[in-house]
Amino acid sequence: MTRKFITQQELALLVGNLLAAHTRVIAPVRDEEDPRQVDYKPIESFSQAVFGAAIPRRSMKEFFLPITEVLLSYKLTHEGVKITEVPTQAPPQVIFGALPCDAAGLKTVDKVMNWDYRDELWFGRREASTIVTFLCSVMDHTCFCTAVGLGPEDSKGSDAMLIPYEGGYIAQLVTERGEKLFEGVGTAATEIMISASEDTGKAARAKVEPNLPAIPGELSEWLKQNFNHPVWKTIALRCHGCSACAALCPTCHCFDITDEHTSAEAGTRRRNWDSCQTSTFTVHASGHNPRASQSERFRQRIQHKFSVYPSRFGEMLCTGCGRCSRVCPGGMDLPTIVGELVSLAKSESEVSGQ
Amino acid sequence: MKELQEAARKLLSEGTVSVVLGYEMGPRGVRAAFITRPEDVGKLIFNTSCVQNLTTYLNPRRAQITQLGRPAVVVKGCDARSLAGLIREKQIERDKVVVLGVRCGGVLEDPESASELTAETVSVRCTGCKVREPHLADQLFGELPAEPPVNHRREEQIAALEKMTAVERREYWNNQLERCIRCHACREACPMCFCVKCTAEKTQPQWIDAAATLESNRAWQTMRVLHQAGRCVDCLECERACPEHIPLGLLVRYVAGRVEERFHYEAVDDPTVPAPFGMYRPDDEEEFIR
Amino acid sequence: MNIYQPHLMRIREITDETVDTRTFKLEFQDPSIGQTFAFQAGQFGEYSVFGEGESTFCIASPPTRSGYIECSFKATGKVTSALRRLAVGDTVGFRGPYGNHFPLEKMKGHSIVFIAGGIGLAPVRCVIWNVLDLRDQFKDVTIIYGARTVADLVYKRELDEWAARQDVKLCLAVDPGGETPEWKGMVARIPTAVEKTVSSAEDTFAVICGPPVMIKFTLPVLEKLNFPGDRIYTTLENRMKCGLGKCGRCNIGPTYVCKDGPVFTAAELRALPQEF
Repeated sequence: MTRKFITQQELALLVGNLLAAHTRVIAPVRDEEDPRQVDYKPIESFSQAVFGAAIPRRSMKEFFLPITEVLLSYKLTHEGVKITEVPTQAPPQVIFGALPCDAAGLKTVDKVMNWDYRDELWFGRREASTIVTFLCSVMDHTCFCTAVGLGPEDSKGSDAMLIPYEGGYIAQLVTERGEKLFEGVGTAATEIMISASEDTGKAARAKVEPNLPAIPGELSEWLKQNFNHPVWKTIALRCHGCSACAALCPTCHCFDITDEHTSAEAGTRRRNWDSCQTSTFTVHASGHNPRASQSERFRQRIQHKFSVYPSRFGEMLCTGCGRCSRVCPGGMDLPTIVGELVSLAKSESEVSGQ
Repeated sequence: MKELQEAARKLLSEGTVSVVLGYEMGPRGVRAAFITRPEDVGKLIFNTSCVQNLTTYLNPRRAQITQLGRPAVVVKGCDARSLAGLIREKQIERDKVVVLGVRCGGVLEDPESASELTAETVSVRCTGCKVREPHLADQLFGELPAEPPVNHRREEQIAALEKMTAVERREYWNNQLERCIRCHACREACPMCFCVKCTAEKTQPQWIDAAATLESNRAWQTMRVLHQAGRCVDCLECERACPEHIPLGLLVRYVAGRVEERFHYEAVDDPTVPAPFGMYRPDDEEEFIR
Repeated sequence: MNIYQPHLMRIREITDETVDTRTFKLEFQDPSIGQTFAFQAGQFGEYSVFGEGESTFCIASPPTRSGYIECSFKATGKVTSALRRLAVGDTVGFRGPYGNHFPLEKMKGHSIVFIAGGIGLAPVRCVIWNVLDLRDQFKDVTIIYGARTVADLVYKRELDEWAARQDVKLCLAVDPGGETPEWKGMVARIPTAVEKTVSSAEDTFAVICGPPVMIKFTLPVLEKLNFPGDRIYTTLENRMKCGLGKCGRCNIGPTYVCKDGPVFTAAELRALPQEF
């Protein structure tokens, strides 16, 4: 992996050049009404970007799986129906200042989007994107990336990771796309720099690790075996089923497909964000609902993220970003809940001698 | 809140109720408590961080909660108004819930970023509160505090909106509502949104398109706020739940203002007072019918 | 290639099976696709009315017949009601085939008992015709089909064809109270009809589909006859949307109905979390 040193000015120039070439550049930007908050937004100048200030409220998911996305357009004519296809190639975009948890989440979702059928809408955007993360310095007590096998210094999903260092950044060029982006920019990183970046990484990890111990692999099997455990009846009493958690989650990808008229003869077929937390998610045509109460729906959330996805795709459907917990109006705290389930699993296996 | 805890302990141990819905400290601050065992009543607290309106949990369709059994619920005066609404609209019966009213002098807008109640940190909805002592209660707890600090921020925002031209106002709301992702968290958190099938979920006919386009977002929010006219109690759970930070409180406050003007009605915590949404008076103004 | 893009189909024929169940015979508007399109018995598709949406049905015609596919549906919601408003010549969208299939290869050389109730005959009919089109590759074929009333029986013209065949044992039944004066079949619920018609599980597979309550009471009958759980096949209805394993709607525990199903053995179903 190539490592370079890039000055702040060089980074500004690089971004300026991208913008001048009309490449879409996305970065964390301060909210106008509440400057303490940042969101990932397309920028028009480098000065709009603010790095290392706060956890962006939303994940980067919407730049790859739009909140609502046209799948096709149709027109009803006398001869029948004419379909207009949507392009599966996307214009290039570069994201600067992404959080490592958000970048890792995209890679996690790649697996289901490539499962037997390749979702070209998702991958069109993925292939057109270069993701430059910053080694995370904005973690708080709700983060638990280290518990799910990631970390503030983990470059999974990054094309390049920038580590702040003395007036600039040490850039880890993780992929070919990362190399290409920083071609001709910066100087070779020195041993001292590399060592410093590793120290920064270790220090960052040390801030997150106390929040939740590493989730053991056995949890996935325990969840599967304990589908009917009484804990599910009371674990989510305060959950409203509002799905705000799913909306902000970097790995929640569930969607609905609906048709909409734009006129009497024409319209679109769209996919829209949806969530297993909503009451009608699994309602059958007959009216039967296999997940009729919030306790069952919340069980699905935990099971899908910490048991189903690991058993099908080898990793948890969670990056430990903590957004679900920060946004929840009911005070559901996922690291605490997962911690409780892990303790329950451990104590029950001790009792049963397994 | 020793008296509250003691009352809860008595209600549970005597079997009068099976669950006490109150407030407790959670890992992220104050959250709803569902106390089912008398020995757990020590968890119950009440302070200026107790923002949440707990009556949302009394929705009879929340099977995971109804299965716990007969509830007691801790309410501030403002929460008691949505409780009255639920009773008025026949969602729950008065004698099926024990109401533990707490006297309140205001709550924080954002408990995570402040702990002291000041004119800047108090919730905008507390200004001018007329129900610091809930009237709808089986028991009352706490001392009557001083009136909450006055926070004019929302009045100023609404005044600024009213000064705008229609075009400017539309621009403002377009900017806000294009962020709506149609997660419907506002609906799920709202105590008065209890419809078994929301208008937005109906497909025959499709009153409101499901996709988060500006047009259908406007339709959704307008519809929801209008369905709340005369019913909303300004608890601001909708605004608190919104992951996009859309200032829904401005919409509901504005509509409440129009209901006050037209129908001389404010949300009250007396379930016997009829709300304008379900009745008419012969002297209702009709000048808009031309 | 956009996996969400449907083929355009034209409605060639409409048959009203009952007062509320309709069958469409669909042909591909692009003949080159029609010629190469292939699927296996048990697979499903997403059928759509442009402007109204998509709906999930099995492919009800057998894979041994080319040039068309069929689906049968009831108008229960927005999309099925819109489908019902269409006429011959109108356009329907189709995405598929999705899902797994009945393992006909495994069943060859053995006997099969088909058990269906009401509109549950639709996916089973697909397998029945697949088998009958390759009749000499299977041993005994028994069909037990019933509905609440005579009027609720679907594919009536095909029931007559099956009845006329010497190489098929057909038992038709209607629930007590559902018979007409002319009714010559059995008057009994499906579990009873199975008890009376099937004497042995030896060398036999069972394929069963129908309302959940029918399946619930028929499975014990099959178990009493010593059908092992892995020789009883059924197809599961679940709320599905994309059919491609992506939208996250159809999983039952770690099983995605659109990818690992919708065809399951009774043994597999029993091992699933009971959330369907």
